[in-house]
Amino acid sequence: MDSDGASEILARLRDVLRESAVEEHDWDAVVAETPIESLGFDSLTILDVLYDVEEEFGIALDPKQVVKTRTIGEIIALLQQNGA
Amino acid sequence: MLHLLEYWAARLALFGVDLLPPAAASRWAAALGSLWWTADRPRRRVAVSNILRAGVAGDGRQARAIGRGASRHMGMVLVESMKSARVLEDPERMRVDIPGDVAAVLEDPDRGLIVVSGHFGNWEIAGQWLSRYKPVAGISRPMNNPRVQKLALERRQRRAFRMIPKYDPDPGRFLKLLGNGEILALLVDQHARQGIDVPFFGHPAKTHTTAAMLHLVARTPLTFAVCRRTAPMTFELTLSPLIEQQRSGDRNADVEAIVRTLNSLLEEAIRRDPEQYLWGHRRWR
Repeated sequence: MDSDGASEILARLRDVLRESAVEEHDWDAVVAETPIESLGFDSLTILDVLYDVEEEFGIALDPKQVVKTRTIGEIIALLQQNGA
Repeated sequence: MLHLLEYWAARLALFGVDLLPPAAASRWAAALGSLWWTADRPRRRVAVSNILRAGVAGDGRQARAIGRGASRHMGMVLVESMKSARVLEDPERMRVDIPGDVAAVLEDPDRGLIVVSGHFGNWEIAGQWLSRYKPVAGISRPMNNPRVQKLALERRQRRAFRMIPKYDPDPGRFLKLLGNGEILALLVDQHARQGIDVPFFGHPAKTHTTAAMLHLVARTPLTFAVCRRTAPMTFELTLSPLIEQQRSGDRNADVEAIVRTLNSLLEEAIRRDPEQYLWGHRRWR
């Protein structure tokens, strides 16, 4: 993983989460190791976030790959694999 | 103690339903529905108010007639769902109209499908019938009584049709289900606290957005189902051509466009057969 690229993606991801998520959270504290389940999404709010992430990065993610991810770092890796 | 009493009352009612032939059970359920209409004054007031607001009745008298018919209908829905094997195994009792684009998805084991409907006609028969193609998951809100809940779930599961809880800690469960090529059946006409305001019969109503978001994010095909009763224990299931919404980048606008389409399809079905709709729900709050 390109660490500079990963850092930039993480920063953009935090911005998207800040804008999209309904739940209050300290988004600046989100790091690559942060488990996705700790972010408080439900089956609907996760869709809002995914839509906005795809729009931010201009890519389409495979939902089958998305549901396999467990941490923010794995999401970042998936975004990089898809050209982000 | 109350839960136990309710459970045994439900078991007794089911025993009676099982003993009666379908036509008699259906008549019995319709009579109970009519009785319920007479007895449940608060629900009756909500239903009449909704019917008048929707504009499907010209005056109060007509609204009450539709409301009573709808209450009889809901009684029949319960019995039909319990005795659905008779409908599902008899092609004479189920006329089906599936457009080619939807049929192609149903016949492809790798493609998931979102099937949306409302509390119109017999939505459970529709879900059970569609499970001949691929597994169907319908969402149910948990009942207050867990014993009755368990009994109802046992009786409503048929073929590859199953009910799943409305709340679940796994946020990716719908994506997984659709990714496995299954059908997710959603009813979108209950008041949705976290939904968006979209016109329903011309009046803003908080409406669920899950189906729309799944279509946009998972890119899963979406169709609207209407399963209307044409005679006792006999139905006509119609699926709409696939509803497709291209993403514009404006999430709210995309969702609203889909939800408006879904609401208008439901309105169309209700206008045709207003007595087959659940009017007793406080849709506009």
